[in-house]
Amino acid sequence: MANVLEIKDLHVNAGDKEILKGLNMIVKEGEIHAIMGPNGNGKSTLLQTIMGNPAYTVTSGSITFNGEDVLAMPVDVRSKKGLFLALQYPQEISGVTNSDFLRAAINARNEKPLSLFKFIKEIDKGIKELKMKEDLAHRFVNDGFSGGEKKRNEILQMMMLKPYIAMLDEIDSGLDVDAIKLVSDAIIKLKEETNMGLMVVSHYERFFTSIKPTHAHVIVDGKVVVEGDSELVLKIDQDGYDWLYEELKIEPVKENKPMVYSLGTCARNKRA
Amino acid sequence: MPRIFDNINGNSLDLSLDKSDVITIVITNSNFNIHYELSDGDYKFLIFNNSDSELSLNEEGTIRNSNVEINYFDLNDAKLIHKNNIEVYYGSNLTINSTYLGTNTKNIEFNLFNKERDSAISISNNVVCLNDADFSLTVSGKIEKGSKRSKCFQKSRCLTFENPKKAKILPVLLIDENDVEASHSLSSGTIDENVLFYMNSRGLSKNDALKLLLVSYLMPNEEFYSAFEDGLKIKKIADRKVEKICMM
Repeated sequence: MANVLEIKDLHVNAGDKEILKGLNMIVKEGEIHAIMGPNGNGKSTLLQTIMGNPAYTVTSGSITFNGEDVLAMPVDVRSKKGLFLALQYPQEISGVTNSDFLRAAINARNEKPLSLFKFIKEIDKGIKELKMKEDLAHRFVNDGFSGGEKKRNEILQMMMLKPYIAMLDEIDSGLDVDAIKLVSDAIIKLKEETNMGLMVVSHYERFFTSIKPTHAHVIVDGKVVVEGDSELVLKIDQDGYDWLYEELKIEPVKENKPMVYSLGTCARNKRA
Repeated sequence: MPRIFDNINGNSLDLSLDKSDVITIVITNSNFNIHYELSDGDYKFLIFNNSDSELSLNEEGTIRNSNVEINYFDLNDAKLIHKNNIEVYYGSNLTINSTYLGTNTKNIEFNLFNKERDSAISISNNVVCLNDADFSLTVSGKIEKGSKRSKCFQKSRCLTFENPKKAKILPVLLIDENDVEASHSLSSGTIDENVLFYMNSRGLSKNDALKLLLVSYLMPNEEFYSAFEDGLKIKKIADRKVEKICMM
């Protein structure tokens, strides 16, 4: 049976504020879905909600994976069922090494624990493929990593856990051109090996060009307002979102940026 | 060769060590004094509290022209009062790693002195405080006048559960010289919700995640096990404690 993730009329709150306002989407294995839209309109909220972040509350609607109710599952069970979220800002876990973390994660989903030999072989392969530092396995999870290293580490975890549906939240941000190529090649290779489905949030056409999305969705004000394929990605890259707002007569949610106040300076340069 | 001081008669241990010595001191008494004067060598200690009853430990040491690593390990349920004064002189490096499980009243006071120039001290404390803990750790690093180019770095982590009676860690730096490097950092609190979500999102249950985090606090690294005679015994003790806490 093909792996299918189905989201129906999803309404989600963050605190008191409604972020997703009736979102629908179907993602099947082997498909690559580009999820686009202006900042603050619900893209990350969608991915976080699918994974079960307790900061978001589903007020109505459903998410099913192969017919099973995802919303009824604890976060770890969602992962064991084959969902994976590569975070935009991965957490640092001081004191826990990457190898202990990944091995525990792999063993948590297998009936028989993975042999140490096989694990080392696999992690070394991933580290080489992503051109990461050789001592990565012995370093603490994301602790002291650069932004780019953290993103590559998310991809390494994805490669090791081999999900059925992987969600990548701005995985390309913080990566230089060469690293984007490396990461996108690794994603495509894993997709070809496992036929996983992908939901990819990004603002950059360059990244989407590399991974070649089969579907594209634009989320504005918590809803999918337009769907298409890679041509839609290209159009948005060239023309932005304004044509959509005009055509559909909609207004995007303006991102709340914190106000910055200057308290002045305590020293003044007295040079003339 | 690693040596072990176990079943020590009396209440005090005056260490006279060979150069490049690795020793384990297993404490089983209720009152204990340790005194050492180390010079011109590389030394590694493990001071391991294996006393089931209340322990009052006093430690006095001086270090000259040596590299010294001291590991304190105490996962006992019994009360502990530990006070140390360690003086570090010219050309010496002192590294301290401490591991404590707060389950009862534990009152620990480290007094570390950079006495002369080019002396370096680095201390890293890992503490887990359970709900009945009444834990206090004060780390005072004092860089004395004339100790140019000296270093004193302190790092402490404390994992607490919902409502410890007391989990207090006080890092103190007293610096009486200009040309030095010094820092202190402290993190204390319950498991971060975002970290827990991250770990859960990789398939680890709450219990699996807690276990991994506890291991990171309570278990030393692999090098430690091979360096000390009692390393594996300590691993077993830590394993048992982690299992016990996860069952709570």
